[in-house]
Amino acid sequence: MIKFIVFASILSLIVSTTLIKNSTKDLDDKIYSTKENLLFLENRLKDSKLEFDYLSSSEKLLEYQLLYFENSLQKKSLKELNTLEIIDNELIINKLTISGNKDEQ
Amino acid sequence: MNNKNKFVLYDNNDEFKYNISKIDIDIKFNRVAFIFFVFFIISVIYSIHLIHLGSRKSDLSNNNQPKIINKLLRADIVDRNDNFLAKTVSSIDIGINPVEIIDQKKLLLNLGYIFPDKNYELIKSKLQKNKFFWFEKKISEENYEKIMMLGDKSIQPKEKLRRVYPQKNLFSHIIGQIDDDNIGISGLEKSLDEQLKNNKNTITLTVDKDIQFLIREELIKYNKIFRTKGSAAILMNVNTGEIISLVSLPDFDPNERINITDLNYINRATKGVYELGSVFKTFTLAAGIHEGVIEPETEFINLEKSIQCGKNTISEYDKKIPSNLTAEQILIRSGNIGSVRIGQSIGLEKFKNFMNELSLINSIQFDIEEVGVPVSFKWGKCKLATASYGHGITTTILQLANAYSIIVNGGYKISPTLIKKNINLKNRKILKNDVSKKINPILRKIVTTKEGTASLANIDGYEVGGKTGTAQKSALGGYSKNKINTFASIFPISNPKFTLVVMLDEPKTNSEYIYNYRDGSGIKYKGTPFNTAGWTTVEVVGQIIEKIGPILATKYFEVY
Repeated sequence: MIKFIVFASILSLIVSTTLIKNSTKDLDDKIYSTKENLLFLENRLKDSKLEFDYLSSSEKLLEYQLLYFENSLQKKSLKELNTLEIIDNELIINKLTISGNKDEQ
Repeated sequence: MNNKNKFVLYDNNDEFKYNISKIDIDIKFNRVAFIFFVFFIISVIYSIHLIHLGSRKSDLSNNNQPKIINKLLRADIVDRNDNFLAKTVSSIDIGINPVEIIDQKKLLLNLGYIFPDKNYELIKSKLQKNKFFWFEKKISEENYEKIMMLGDKSIQPKEKLRRVYPQKNLFSHIIGQIDDDNIGISGLEKSLDEQLKNNKNTITLTVDKDIQFLIREELIKYNKIFRTKGSAAILMNVNTGEIISLVSLPDFDPNERINITDLNYINRATKGVYELGSVFKTFTLAAGIHEGVIEPETEFINLEKSIQCGKNTISEYDKKIPSNLTAEQILIRSGNIGSVRIGQSIGLEKFKNFMNELSLINSIQFDIEEVGVPVSFKWGKCKLATASYGHGITTTILQLANAYSIIVNGGYKISPTLIKKNINLKNRKILKNDVSKKINPILRKIVTTKEGTASLANIDGYEVGGKTGTAQKSALGGYSKNKINTFASIFPISNPKFTLVVMLDEPKTNSEYIYNYRDGSGIKYKGTPFNTAGWTTVEVVGQIIEKIGPILATKYFEVY
């Protein structure tokens, strides 16, 4: 009986070790391939961002503006800009200043 | 007869009787069997494992991407809003070595499937020459994967590094460029060459591409109006030294890889060393206040219209300037003689030390190597006199912007920088006696008062203050008729955030240009009456602040 128990426990240890080793190997492979995919996607994202930065550069935007829009760009003075704040369900409109201090109302 | 039985008794005590029992045989057999069985199980398990490994299919769908080994890596450079300023793009060129082809027909057939549009008659003729040739340049990743799957030895890929500058001319003087061997030859590409090659991390700069664009556009426009040889502008944060914009014209497109030898393409903002003239008068007054010998209300009586110092005659530009002026009025009216008197009251050593403290007359540490060194000279009584009003003393635009920032920010030493740092170091206070509190209102009066020289920069809502400087450009043996016009501006003066210094190199008057007075009168004035900073550079600064002001007010609002 004791022999059987010992034998069975050793066998089960060997089997379980093999199974665990197998599954960790599977996981390692999956992690590796996911990382490689991520790297690939990151590179593609950077390339897309490069295209976006070039196409949305100020020079390009002005070029498109001249090409597709009849209205010319209007200069906005600081006095025409305000900030909107919602405090306690109340909309507060403040003048915008460049000083960076709290806006005057 | 007597049959007698004989009994012979033996003593059995010493005799050993060995009884081979069945149980012992069983134990022996079981031990062996047990060990054998264990080994058998282990071998069965490993066999299963091996069979399992051998029968596993390699999953192609997980290995989509080409395995590009990036040996020629170079980190990207972005602006403060993560827009690419310099990006490394790797491309692969495919070459074919005809000598190593095993089955030419099969190869051409396979290539035909992947690249159906190629001229295969031409390719066949190239193959017959038995010389290596480029089959396809800048191949896509998808086609690269397909072509490598053919497994043909004759197909030889080569990875090429390309450095792309999507903003073209905009940051050419800051970023610089690299050569064909991936070595930086100018700008940040040169000064950060090792860091860019060894570190994969993106380098973030302090510049803003939108502000840079707007300033550059204005400079290009006014270069044409005033027919300048070149110009420069620096927009800097007075508290941190971060440079938001640095423009020097003319500039170049680093994507074109031209070898530039024309000296006119010098970086006028950092490398060009100039005598900037009256902008130095601010430092003279600041030095006097710092040393405690002068206050803004200090009166100077009977100021001459010209004085002699050695061989030099020092005279006033404005002959109508009053003879009795306060120190404040001397700066507002840009009086030469008054500035000399202020300088003389400070003394040579203290004045010299003050200039050194502001890093004005020595070389300055900066992130790019293209930094000019002010011309050294021997200090003396007359040198003090001329230096007091900005004559015979040189510096760079970068150092001027840095010095003005220190004067207005409360007297804290800062270092100009192009690279965004996450650490906020506490700056050392180097000026005392509330220099900023006394100087700032005077700089504002230069813009707001009739006697001041910079009223064209009085943009509503920005509290612009500053000092103009009109200097004759030095030439061999003396001075030429050409001018260097500079305006160092600060805004908003009540709580200084930014300094904008603009310099025009050899501007000329324009008889057709229409000035709009900024005093609220709505008066227009046609033609540049005088070739001074007040009529040229100040106008440029006013136009620039009008354009970039709303962006600075909104985008940078939360930061400050």
